[in-house]
Amino acid sequence: MEASREIYWNVGHGIVTLLPMYLLAVFGLACMAIGLLKRIKVYKTGLPMNRKDQPGKRLLCTLQTALLQKRVTSPLLPGLFHGLFFWSFLILFIGTALIVLQADFTDLFWDIKFLEGSFYKLFSLVLDLAGILAVVLLIALLVRRFVILRHSINEDREQLFMHVLMLLILVTGFLIEGFRMAVTELGTPLASWSPVGLFIATIFSGAKEQSMLLLHKFTWWIHLLLVIGFIAAIPFTKFRHIVTTASNYFFKDLGPKGKLINLDLEDENKETFGAVAVTDLAWKDILDADACTTCERCQDRCPAYNTQKPLSPMQVVSQIGDAAFTKPDQNLIDKIGKDALWSCTTCGACQEICPASIEHVRKIVDLRRSLVLMEGEFPGDEVMTAMEQTEVNGNPLGMGYAGRGDWAADLEVPTLAENPEVDALYFVGCYGSFDKRNIRVAQSFVKLCKAAGIKLAILGKEEKCCGEPMRKMGNEYLYQTLAQENIELIKSYGIKHIVTTCPHCFNTLSKDYADLGLEGVAIDHYTVFLDELIAEGSLDIAADNFSCTYHDSCYLGRHNEIYEPPRSLLQHAGASLVEMERSGSEAFCCSAGGGRIMAEEKLGERINIKRAKMAADLDTGLLVSNCPFCLTMFEDGIKGAELENKLEPKDIAEILVERVKH
Amino acid sequence: MKLLVCMKQVPDMESKFQIDGNGTWYSLEDLAWRMNEYDEYSVEQAVLIKEQLGDVDVTVLSIGSDKVKETMKKALAMGCDRGVHIDDANVFTREPYEIAGIIAEFAKDKGFDVILTGMQSQDRGSGQVGLLVAEMLDIASVSTIVSCCCTSEDVEVARELEGGIKAKIKVKLPALLTCQLGLNVPRYPTLPNIMKAKKKELLTLPGEDFLQVAPRMTTEAMFIPEKKAGGIILEGDENELADKLIAILKEKTAVL
Amino acid sequence: MKLLLVAEYREGKILDTYGELLGFAQKLNAESSMVLVGAADSLPSFDGKLYLADVATHGESNADVHKQVVLDVVSRENPDMVVLCHSSYGWDLAPRIAYQLKAAQVSEVVDIQDGKLVVPVCNAKLRRTLVPGSALTVATIQSGAFAAPELAGAAPRVESIEVSTDGSYTFLGYEEATEGGVDLTKADIIVSAGRGVGKADNVGLVIDLAKALGGEYAASRPVVDSEWVAHERQVGTTGQTVAPKLYIACGISGAIQHLAGMKKSDFIVAINTDRDAPIAEEADALVIADLLQFVPILTEKIQSL
Repeated sequence: MEASREIYWNVGHGIVTLLPMYLLAVFGLACMAIGLLKRIKVYKTGLPMNRKDQPGKRLLCTLQTALLQKRVTSPLLPGLFHGLFFWSFLILFIGTALIVLQADFTDLFWDIKFLEGSFYKLFSLVLDLAGILAVVLLIALLVRRFVILRHSINEDREQLFMHVLMLLILVTGFLIEGFRMAVTELGTPLASWSPVGLFIATIFSGAKEQSMLLLHKFTWWIHLLLVIGFIAAIPFTKFRHIVTTASNYFFKDLGPKGKLINLDLEDENKETFGAVAVTDLAWKDILDADACTTCERCQDRCPAYNTQKPLSPMQVVSQIGDAAFTKPDQNLIDKIGKDALWSCTTCGACQEICPASIEHVRKIVDLRRSLVLMEGEFPGDEVMTAMEQTEVNGNPLGMGYAGRGDWAADLEVPTLAENPEVDALYFVGCYGSFDKRNIRVAQSFVKLCKAAGIKLAILGKEEKCCGEPMRKMGNEYLYQTLAQENIELIKSYGIKHIVTTCPHCFNTLSKDYADLGLEGVAIDHYTVFLDELIAEGSLDIAADNFSCTYHDSCYLGRHNEIYEPPRSLLQHAGASLVEMERSGSEAFCCSAGGGRIMAEEKLGERINIKRAKMAADLDTGLLVSNCPFCLTMFEDGIKGAELENKLEPKDIAEILVERVKH
Repeated sequence: MKLLVCMKQVPDMESKFQIDGNGTWYSLEDLAWRMNEYDEYSVEQAVLIKEQLGDVDVTVLSIGSDKVKETMKKALAMGCDRGVHIDDANVFTREPYEIAGIIAEFAKDKGFDVILTGMQSQDRGSGQVGLLVAEMLDIASVSTIVSCCCTSEDVEVARELEGGIKAKIKVKLPALLTCQLGLNVPRYPTLPNIMKAKKKELLTLPGEDFLQVAPRMTTEAMFIPEKKAGGIILEGDENELADKLIAILKEKTAVL
Repeated sequence: MKLLLVAEYREGKILDTYGELLGFAQKLNAESSMVLVGAADSLPSFDGKLYLADVATHGESNADVHKQVVLDVVSRENPDMVVLCHSSYGWDLAPRIAYQLKAAQVSEVVDIQDGKLVVPVCNAKLRRTLVPGSALTVATIQSGAFAAPELAGAAPRVESIEVSTDGSYTFLGYEEATEGGVDLTKADIIVSAGRGVGKADNVGLVIDLAKALGGEYAASRPVVDSEWVAHERQVGTTGQTVAPKLYIACGISGAIQHLAGMKKSDFIVAINTDRDAPIAEEADALVIADLLQFVPILTEKIQSL
């Protein structure tokens, strides 16, 4: 006889079995559908947002991300646990689906059976292995959560319920198999293709057949009820992430990365700006909250959370979800807390790691927008002063605008007004223009360009702050005012290539300015620009060996994924680079992003001190950065950590200019 | 109740100041312009009084070229109800007495219950205009106030004296008050208020209609005071260093 | 030239700033008389004529009444100039008098050059010389600009006067300075501690120097962050922005946030071991020394002045 088994063995093929089974299945699916529809209704209380463009790309991306568990498995542990569990459960799901397909369709209507022969053997083996793997993983995950991480059972009841339910489904499944095999397969060669079933069957080998049949029937119904319960429970428990997280992949932000949505300030009928309640956020923000599995990866990487500030990106997302599903009118700013909202550096570490593709930063900025634009509130007087100074002098430092080009006085760099016929415009930024420490970086960059034969010009006193810190702090109005003036100016000179030394200017000019009409201009960060100059042979750097560690600024790294060119520059300069544990896409913020450069850090430990210590621990003596904000923060942080004798912060441009060949 | 706030547009003090061609005032080139800091407190105080008392109409007045309207918009966005711009391109040559004359001429028949001005301007810093306006209108005035509690009848204020002492004074309305820094916390205009301000009345009146007095003094020359020593560097024995520093402080500063 | 000097009286005592009025008169080589709303038990050391209006009937804080007193004396003395201190009393009274006398008013005189009055403009970044266009001038003089002469022992010839007006003020009393809150922006002298002080205990050296100078002590951000000094004493963009007559930066290298908060000071002394520190460029005098050794010596010498 060909290897196979009788489906519905012992429970019966008749209406007595099938009718209640089908009814239960319909009941379970209906519960799920109703539950999900209810949630969709809640999503729709959010504002419209177009996330249905490029459906093909979205679908492909969703399948890849979900089936390959791409986002979940980074970091590998505990991502791999989830991944393996997901794949084993997926296999069991497919197996079950095949059984349903044969028993309730192909065999029923056309007498076609495919779970036979070698395929059946393989099928049995794979399902058994997947099942036992899932059991082991579930137990491991339970141990991790409640024993190792010491989560309280009281607070985590839902998780306990979910784990135990799945465990029971798996165990009852194996029991059914075992009971059946004890009666039908024990002693046949086929039995060894179901090793777990065989193991259970062997335990019960001495039992009476009658009691085996009874036990089998009973367990079969229990197993069915558990499965139906699982299906019905999906929308009502965190099981929903199977649906919501996958949907979130489909509706994810296709980029460009690190770009904010422009607020329409021209609309005369608009009376509120930014978000106070859930209904001021987009539907996607509520879906985000529903897709969150509270895995805590965002929180583990959040620089604010890691320095005892009252912000947890996960908590923000949960609170938004909680409001959406319970009290949609609730004031989110009060619920989340202003201190939490102001603590964000928009470093993007949360979004980068989120296995559910949640967009945390946009929500925080939206809530900040309401505080600033509707209430005129800031995290402190110093920030309001910086805003006012920017309004008057075009820079948050309050320096007289007319002196913006003074740093270049001895360098023979023309302003565009003096000479518009140049290779590129150097958009210097506020710190490069006014801060003594960063002026040295700006001057180094200009000298490097000169050595490479590049003709640069600056805007001088015509340049204004790009508006990035103000925008991230929520002051969209000031940002747009500054941006429009800069854009008009750049357009009026017809310049086609801009280089910046500040990643914040770079990100803003290259992405955000597009929404306000800056088009057809190539914008480079100087690290990429110089790396190309070296590659094409225009810039010659003499390697002179030194040891250093390198800090990936958030806006060059995570927000723009420029990791290699700066490292390549350092290699050219002769660096032996020692990487920090938190580097690349996992880099730990310097504390100055999100407009925090204008604010005093009053809560918790200082982020820059923490980062300076991480760098100092590597004993290279040199911390290299690519961003004026980072450099400022490290100068401060190294002093704060009393590491002056151990660590020196430098910009890449400063290192290169020491080694440039003329 | 009617309130008048007098607001001046001044150069940001961080600007690079240069002497103009006449040698009697600073050059207007390369300057960033803003609301006189002291006036920010008067504007805020006017809006606070409006919020406290309800039925209050606040007029903000400024004298100068068309450019002052930009700064007046901020006052309107902060909550003033209407603006009066007295057009006078030569505002910088006007002595405090003339400025006060213009304001008094405007205000004399308008029945303002309270007039608020800054305690002084950041550029001229004479501290005269507000008090002169009150004298011209023959109403009570209190200068340098750091607290203010206004009713429809009278106003109770604290004047800031030296050494942190304050004098508490009550005067009947109408009255003029000049505002010192720290009187309140000037608000940052909200976006809806910035939008509303764009639609508020901002009347421009010709300066010559209001200038009825002659100046009582003239500026002979304006100059940049002797450059900072460019950093005298002192080095050596601590004892001698201390003596040298004390000598320098005696010579260069008025505090020893 | 004939001057009428207006002295001040507060809480039972004449304020010693009248000495600066005498210093101004001396510099102009002018003959002076003085007017005071005060009391006979607290008189200036001044060997000229003093018109004294009794504070008990005229009040300490009633601008309208004091205005009338000064106008009354002006009509008797016929001076060329009425001079007051540029203080909360002087700058308040001067315009009232000037208006009634149809006089030009010159505010905050810092200097006399070739007999002409010099006043500051734009936070003392600029100055201008003024020529009054009226026979009588009212002037206020900047505190500290004119040194008081030796005042030992002289007694004025007192003439009592009285005016009858109620004025518009109801004086409700004084409110004394509150403990705790420190307004550095009003201080004439600030001595500030930077990271160079090394540890919390050394902040005392800076406080001692501030006390010896009669000024306030302050700190830069790292010192406040370390909680060696309370936040309310922080100078810089994130603390208070100050412009005292004298700012002494002890062990402050000069981060831009700090410089922006103090560079408007009239005279800046930096005490630092590093001559290339950014503060050196803002400093009028840079003392290259270890502040832990230098500051106590300086304090001692100033105390013995």
